Amino acid sequence: MRTKIKEMSPIRKVIVYTVCIFLIVLSIFPFYTMFINATRGTYEIQSNSISLIPSTFAVSNWNVLMNKNFNPLIGFVNSLIISCGVTVLAVYFSSLTAYGLVAYDWKLRKPFFTFIMAILMIPAQVSIIGFFQFMYSLGLTNNFLPLILPAIASPATVFFMRQYLLGTLSIDIVNCARIDGSGEFRTFNQIVLPIMQPALATQAIFAFVGSWNSLFLPLVMLTDRTKYTMPIMVNLLRGDIYRTEYGSVYLALSLTVLPLFIVYFLLSRYIIEGVALGALKE
Amino acid sequence: MGNKSVSYAKWGYIFSLPFMLVFLFFSLYPIIYTAMLGFTDLQGAGRRTFEFLANPLENYKLVLTNESFITSLKNTGLIWFLNFIPQMLLALLLTSWFTNQRFKIKGQGMFKVLMYMPNIITAATIAFLFRNLFGYPKGPINDLFMMLGLIEKPIYFWMSAGWSRGIIAFIQFWMWYGNTMIVLIAGVMGIDPTIFEAAEIDGASSVQTFFRITLPSLRTILLFTLVTSLIGGLQMFDIPLLYNLGGPDQKTLTASVWIYNQAFSGRYFYNRASAASMVLFAIIVVLASIVFYILRDKDAQKINRDRKAFKKYARQLQKEAGK
Amino acid sequence: MKKVLLVLAALSVLCSSLLFAGGTKDAKAATGTKVINLWSFTDEVPKMMDKYKQLNPDFDYEVKVTIVATTDGAYQPALDQALVAGGKDAPDLYTAESAFVLKYTQGDMADYAAAYKDLGINVDKLLRDAAIAQYTVDIGSNSRGLVGLGYQATGGAFIYRRSLAKQAWGTDDPKTVQSKIGPGWDKFLAAAAELKAKGIGIVSGDGDVWHAVEGASQKGWIVDGKLYIDPDREAFLDISKALKDKGYHNDTQDWTDAWFADMKGIGPQPIFGYFGPAWLINYVMAGNSGGTKPGEGTFGDWAVCQPPAGFFWGGTWLIANKNSPVKEAVGKFIEWVTLDSSNTGLQYFWANGTLNGPGGTKDVVASGTVMAKSDGKLDFLGGQNMFDAFIPAGDFATGRNKTQYDEGINSIWRGQVREYTSGTKTRAQAIADFKKQVADNLGIN
Repeated sequence: MRTKIKEMSPIRKVIVYTVCIFLIVLSIFPFYTMFINATRGTYEIQSNSISLIPSTFAVSNWNVLMNKNFNPLIGFVNSLIISCGVTVLAVYFSSLTAYGLVAYDWKLRKPFFTFIMAILMIPAQVSIIGFFQFMYSLGLTNNFLPLILPAIASPATVFFMRQYLLGTLSIDIVNCARIDGSGEFRTFNQIVLPIMQPALATQAIFAFVGSWNSLFLPLVMLTDRTKYTMPIMVNLLRGDIYRTEYGSVYLALSLTVLPLFIVYFLLSRYIIEGVALGALKE
Repeated sequence: MGNKSVSYAKWGYIFSLPFMLVFLFFSLYPIIYTAMLGFTDLQGAGRRTFEFLANPLENYKLVLTNESFITSLKNTGLIWFLNFIPQMLLALLLTSWFTNQRFKIKGQGMFKVLMYMPNIITAATIAFLFRNLFGYPKGPINDLFMMLGLIEKPIYFWMSAGWSRGIIAFIQFWMWYGNTMIVLIAGVMGIDPTIFEAAEIDGASSVQTFFRITLPSLRTILLFTLVTSLIGGLQMFDIPLLYNLGGPDQKTLTASVWIYNQAFSGRYFYNRASAASMVLFAIIVVLASIVFYILRDKDAQKINRDRKAFKKYARQLQKEAGK
Repeated sequence: MKKVLLVLAALSVLCSSLLFAGGTKDAKAATGTKVINLWSFTDEVPKMMDKYKQLNPDFDYEVKVTIVATTDGAYQPALDQALVAGGKDAPDLYTAESAFVLKYTQGDMADYAAAYKDLGINVDKLLRDAAIAQYTVDIGSNSRGLVGLGYQATGGAFIYRRSLAKQAWGTDDPKTVQSKIGPGWDKFLAAAAELKAKGIGIVSGDGDVWHAVEGASQKGWIVDGKLYIDPDREAFLDISKALKDKGYHNDTQDWTDAWFADMKGIGPQPIFGYFGPAWLINYVMAGNSGGTKPGEGTFGDWAVCQPPAGFFWGGTWLIANKNSPVKEAVGKFIEWVTLDSSNTGLQYFWANGTLNGPGGTKDVVASGTVMAKSDGKLDFLGGQNMFDAFIPAGDFATGRNKTQYDEGINSIWRGQVREYTSGTKTRAQAIADFKKQVADNLGIN
C-alpha cells in the first residue's frame, strides 16, 4: 500500500523562503556594516556611522592598528590558546559530568544536579570581583590558567548535555558495552561521546564564541602586553572618547570575528548533516 | 547475587569529581565572599577591611525599598517578555521548517549558518551600531522613514521609552534566535528517526508530526532553552548598559545594570550590590523552579514513586522474613 | 568529531607549552627592580614615555604599559583593584582623566597618591618657573601637597564660524563676537535670537552649553555632604528649553553623528559655534570639518574667543603610587612631563606639535611659560593664534565646583534636562526625579 506523500503547498514554500531570506539579510546587515566601516576613516564614521558603500581607508586603518605598540598576531594566538582550551575542557568535562548524572543512580545525584542549577542562576558579574581578588592574591595574574581551567565546571553546558542525554541515551547501549567487558571510562569515550555529536558540536561553538569574545575578565587579569587577547586589543583602540580611532576599531573587530566564522563553518557540518542517531540502529 | 548497581553508582561520583573540584577552587570563594558582603558595610573604593552590620538585613531592606531597583526589576521582566516570546516562536517555526522530513529546503545549510551569525558579534559592537542606527536628529532609520514619507520630523528614538525598550528587546531577540534554533535542531537530531518514518507511513502531515512527535520529544531540550533564556534574560546586562546606560530616565534599566551601577559608578556600594545580587538570585531560583515544575516528566515521576513504594514494601517483607 | 576535539586539544597544549616557555623568561626579566608599571587609558602618556627614553638613553627602566579604555567604564575598577592589591604588578605611575581625577587626588583613592615633593621634585620652584595654570594645581593637591598635575590646559573657549559671524554681524573679529555672546547667558541668548533671524543656529545641541554652565557655577553638586543644585546649574534647564523651543540649535547629542555633521555645517541649519578646549579643535573638529586645508569644507573658517562663562573640560593628570619602589625614576618622568618648561620638556613639544617630528597636532599646555614662547597659529582657525584665546581661558577655569561623583551626577542631570526640554516632564518633576535618582543610585541626599 502506497500512501501519497503530501507535498508542501507552493504558497507555503514561498512564505518559507521569503521569511528565511529576510532573516538572513537582517542577520548579515550589521556584519556588512562592520566590514564596510573597516574601510572607512574615523572622521567619515563619526559623521555618518552607517554606510553601505566602502571607502578607501583600509590601509591607513591597518597602519594605525599595527602602529599601536602591540602585535595583533600575538593577540590572535593568545585568544586561540585560551578559547581552544576552554572549548575542549568545557565540552569534555561537561559531557562527563552529565553522563555521570544520567547513567548512574547514586544518592547525591539529584542534590548535585540541583546544585549545578543553582550555580547557573547566580548573576555573573558579582562573582567576578571576588574571583580576581582571589587570583591576584594567589599571584595568578598574567597567566592563562585561571582563564582556562574554570571551564571544567560549566553549569550551562552540563545542563544541556544532561537534557540531551536524557532524551537520547538508552541505558541498553551501556549495558551492552558492559557485557562486552568495556570499562566505564572506555564506554563513555568510545560509545557515548560519538552519540552526542550534535550536542558536542553545538556546545563547542557556543563555548568557543563565548570565550573568544570575552573581554572583562581577561582585561583585568592580563596586564602584560604579550598576553593580550584580541578583544583587549580592540579595546585599546578605543581609549578616550575623543581619541577613539573608529576606522581601526572596526578593522580590528572584523579581524576578531573572522576566526569565529571559520570555527563555526567547521563545526556546523555536524549539526546540519542529519547524522543518524537512532541509538540501536544497526 | 551481589548488588551490581552499587558498584556502578560510584562512577557517578567519580565522573562528577572534576567539576566539583574545579568549582570549589575557582568559584566557591568568590560566591561565598559576595554572599557574605551583603551583610557587611563594605563601601567605597580601596577599602579592604569591613565589618558585619549590627542589623544584618539593613542592606536588604535598603535594596528592596529602593525605587530604582524595583523599577529595574519591572523593566527586566518586561524586556525579557518582549524578547523571549517572539524568539521562541520564531525558533520553533524555523526548527519545524528545517527538520521537515518531506520538504528539504534548498540552501538549508547556508540559512542555518547565517542565522546563527548574530550570536557571534560582541554586545558592545551591536549596541553601538543600533544606537547609531536610531540616531536623532540624523540617523539611517530616521532618514529612511522620512524618505518613505512615513514621518515629517525625525523621531527622537533615544528619548522614547517604548522605542528604547523595543529596540533592546529586538537586539536580544536578534542575537539569540539563531542560537535557540540551533539548540532545538540539535535536539531534534537526537530523536530516533524510526519514529518519524513510522509517522510518515501512517500518513501524518508535517504539522501533525511537529506537534505530536517533535515537540513532546523535545521536552528535555525545551526545558533547557526555557530555563537558560529565563536566567539569561533576568540577568540582561550588556545591551541595556551599552545602548543607553539604562536610560532614558531609567526606562531600560535592568536589575543587573542597577547592581553594576551600585558597585562601580562612583560610590562602590559593594555591600548593596551583593545584597541585590542575592535578591535577584532568589527571584531567578523561584521562577526557574516554576518552569521545572511545569515541564516535569510526569510519567517518570510516577514510575519513580511506584518504584520507591515497591522498594519500601520489599524491605518490609524482607524484615518480616528475617524475623 | 573526536578528531576535531583531539586536534584542538593538541593545538592548545602545543601553543601553551611554547608560550609558557616564553612566559617564564619574561617573568625572570621583569622581576628586576628596573621596571615601571604605567597604567593609562589612552596611549598618549605611553608615547610620551617612549620619547623620554629616546631623549634620555641612560633611563634604562623597562616600562610595562597597561591601557584600559574609559569608554565602557572599565578603567577605574581595574585601576582600583590593581592599586589595592599592591605587589610587584601594582601601578607605579597612573593617569586620571578630569572626569574622575578628584577621586584619585582628593577622594577615596587619594591615599595611594605620592606627594610630588616625595618624588624628588622641587615643586614650589618649578611651579613658579613654569607658570602652571592654577586650576590644575588645585585639583591635584590635597593636605599632603601636590600629588597630581596635568600637562594640558583645557580651559574652554567659544569656537565660531567666521563666515557666519560676518553674515550676522558684518565682522568676524574675536573681540566683537566675544562681546556679542557674553558675558552671561542672557547676552548669549540674545545673540542666539539675532543669529536665528539670519537662519543660523548658535550651537549644535544643549550639551555644548552644558560644559560651560557646569564649569562656571559657584558651587559643586555636593555641599556639606548633601546634594546641592547650584542656581547657575539649575538655570541650565531654562537655557536648554529656550534653545530648543526657539530652535536655536539642531537638538543633537554630543558625540553622535549629527553633532559631528554640524562641524561640516551640513545639518538642518548651519551652526555658529562650539564650546571647547584646544583639544576639541585639534582632535575632533579639524578632522570633521570636511577638509584638510583652508577652503575645503569648513576648514579655516573658524576662530576662537572667550566664552560667556569660563570653564574647563578634560585633561589628564599624572599620579605616582606612594608605595612604588621606583619613585625617583617615576618622579623624573613626571617632572619632565608636567613641570619642565624648557625647550626639551614635554610641554614644549606638545604645544608646538613636535613630539613625533614636525607638523603634529598642537595643543594648549599647562605651563604659561611654554605657551608664551610657542606658536599657536592654526590654519584651521584661519591663521589665528589659538593661545591668545586659550591662555586667558585657563585663568577662568577652576576646580572648586567639582566633586568625585560628578560623572554619575552629571549623567543623571542631563538625562532629566532632556526629559524636560522634550516636554515629557514638568520642570519641577525633572528636578524631583533628579534628586530621587541621585539618592537611589549614588546614595547622596
